[in-house]
Order: sequence, then C-alpha cells, then structure tokens
Amino acid sequence: MERVVAWLNEKNPGLDGPIGVDEDLIEARLIDSMDFLEFIDLLEEISGDSIDLQEVTIDDFRTLARVEERFLASGDLAEAPAG
Amino acid sequence: MNTSSITALPGITLRSPGAGLITLDPVRTALLRGLDDLLSGLAARLAAPEVVGPPLLSVEGLARLDFFRNFPHLGVSAGRFGPEALDGLASGGSPQDLPLHPTGHVLPSATCYGLLLSLEGEDVGEDGLRLSAAGRCFRNETHYDGLRRLWGFHMREVVYLGTKDGATEHQERGGEFVQEVAGRLGLDLTRAAADDPFYDNGGSRARLMALDPVKFEYSAPDGTAIASVNRHRNFFGERLGIRAGSHGPAYSSCVAFGMERWVHAMILAHGTAEQALERLRSAGT
Repeated sequence: MERVVAWLNEKNPGLDGPIGVDEDLIEARLIDSMDFLEFIDLLEEISGDSIDLQEVTIDDFRTLARVEERFLASGDLAEAPAG
Repeated sequence: MNTSSITALPGITLRSPGAGLITLDPVRTALLRGLDDLLSGLAARLAAPEVVGPPLLSVEGLARLDFFRNFPHLGVSAGRFGPEALDGLASGGSPQDLPLHPTGHVLPSATCYGLLLSLEGEDVGEDGLRLSAAGRCFRNETHYDGLRRLWGFHMREVVYLGTKDGATEHQERGGEFVQEVAGRLGLDLTRAAADDPFYDNGGSRARLMALDPVKFEYSAPDGTAIASVNRHRNFFGERLGIRAGSHGPAYSSCVAFGMERWVHAMILAHGTAEQALERLRSAGT
C-alpha cells in the first residue's frame, strides 16, 4: 500500500495532506483518467496478479480501502476467518 | 439512410459543396431554428445566461485539455495562405495545391470548449455558474452521412461549473429535459453510455470511461445520438484553474444537442420534413 500512496502523491504534487482510506480517488481525480492504466499496471506489479478489466468494477478502484481489500489483500486479511 | 446531398426548392436545387457539407433547405432550416428555440428551454429552466462562444480555439488551450491526446483526428485546422502564395492567388492561380500556414487555432469541435477556456482562472463561487451557447462545430470524419454525420454542424450546450453534487444534478436535470422534449415531439429516444470516438480506444481514458461512464447519449431508433449529458469530474476546473469558492477546483458537466441530428430524428419519426415541421409547431405552442 505504501507504493500506491507514493504513486498517488507523485501524480498529485499539490496534495496538502494525507489521502483518507475512504476518499474517492476517481471522482476527485487523484487517479487521472490518462493515468488509469498505469495505476492498473502498478497494482499488477505489486500483487503479482493480472487484472482483467472485464471482471472488475469502478468501485474496486474508488478508495484506498477497497484497493487494498480487492487487489492487495495482505497476510492479515488472508488469515481472517472466511465466514 | 442517406439524406440527399441535393435538397429541393421549387424550381431550384441547393447543391452540396462537398462531402459532409449541406445547405439546409427552407423547411429543414425552419426545423433547425424551431428545435433550437425549443431546446433553449433548458437554459431558461436552469437560468443559464446565453453567450456566444469564440469561433476559433487556440491549439495551446485545447492541448491543455488533452483534446489532441484524445481526438487528434477530429480537429479541423484554421490555416492561412502565406505571403509567398498571395501574388499567385491574386493573379488567378489555383489555391488547391498551395501550402497553408498554421495559425495556432482550430475550429471548435464542441461548443463547451470555448466557454470553458474563457473561464480560465475564474472563481464561479459556491453556487456555481451555468452558461448556454450554440455554435457551429467541425469534426473531420472518415465518412459523412446526410444530417447524421456532417463536417460542420450546430451544437447547443448548457454548461455547469460548480460543486460535485451540482454537476451531477445538472446532468440529471438535463436528461429529464431531453426525455420531456422528446415526448412532446413524438421522438422515441434510448439512453445509453456514450461511445466516444477516442483515437485510441484501448487507451487509458477510454478504458476508464468503459468502467465508469460519465457520458450518456440519447439516440433515435436508427442509432443516431441526438443529445448527450456529460460530466467531467473536476478535470476542467483543475486544468484551467477554475474554482468553486471553498470547494476548490470546480466540477463541471454539460448537456449537448446536435441540432442537425434533431432535424434528422424528427424527419425519421414523422416521415417528411414538412410533417416534422407541423409536429414541431404543434409541440411548441
């Protein structure tokens, strides 16, 4: 997740505070549409898995919380009870 | 479906000067004007003042709005003959093969660009700003098709700049107006996510657009999109330094009408241009 936050800060040098985990990255254009595929590449590189755009929704990319849950599930989440 | 490039007038024909270029006959002109009056009702309803946009746009301004990254193929350039060509032209030489010099300007491909560029650096305030304008727009196309696809056409737009919620509301109210007017005119329109002519359909912006449509089109039964509602998030606000008071960079959205396409849709729905005009006149009262 640190790399994701670093990428967002690099793309948005004017940010004057931390990005909230529930902040809408799409509507606020912290992920600019021209950078969207680069963001996908970053997530693929970090997770080691490819992302099929046919199998995701925009909400999967909307917040840091969702991005972490959907693409970067850490050991903590993996170890959580399945149900 | 290909509207004839020659429109009839009693005893007279109005010839087309080339592909995608049409002189509208009196009936179609009356349709265009009448429809424009009716669709101007959206601006009245939303209290959007009417303005006249600039006839040319600077390439530098459009480049800052990523226009050429998205639509490099659409831009119709405003060139001029250089001094070296003038003597030859003045003495009757053919202009056909003479080079044109760039002017740094292109013809508008949409009405809203000129309005947005005019607002650079402004603060539209907490309540936002609406503007309405109609203008001739120009797009290079790979093919032309009657009134459905022209090289130059009229586009009426109502633009909003302000808050995120305001931009969404503008889009919603615009959509309601389109369906309401269509109902009065006897037009059956289908709403669907827009399929914009991005140069690179696999590119980043096109892929995001597919996942999160920000533009919807209203189409006649033959698939001709005659109106659209489009929101831009805070893209123009950021790129042009337009603020909405304490909300920061303005969010924006617009409602657009392709006027010749409305004429086309009316004729499609009512059989002939004359019958379409009759229907329009009864709807306008």
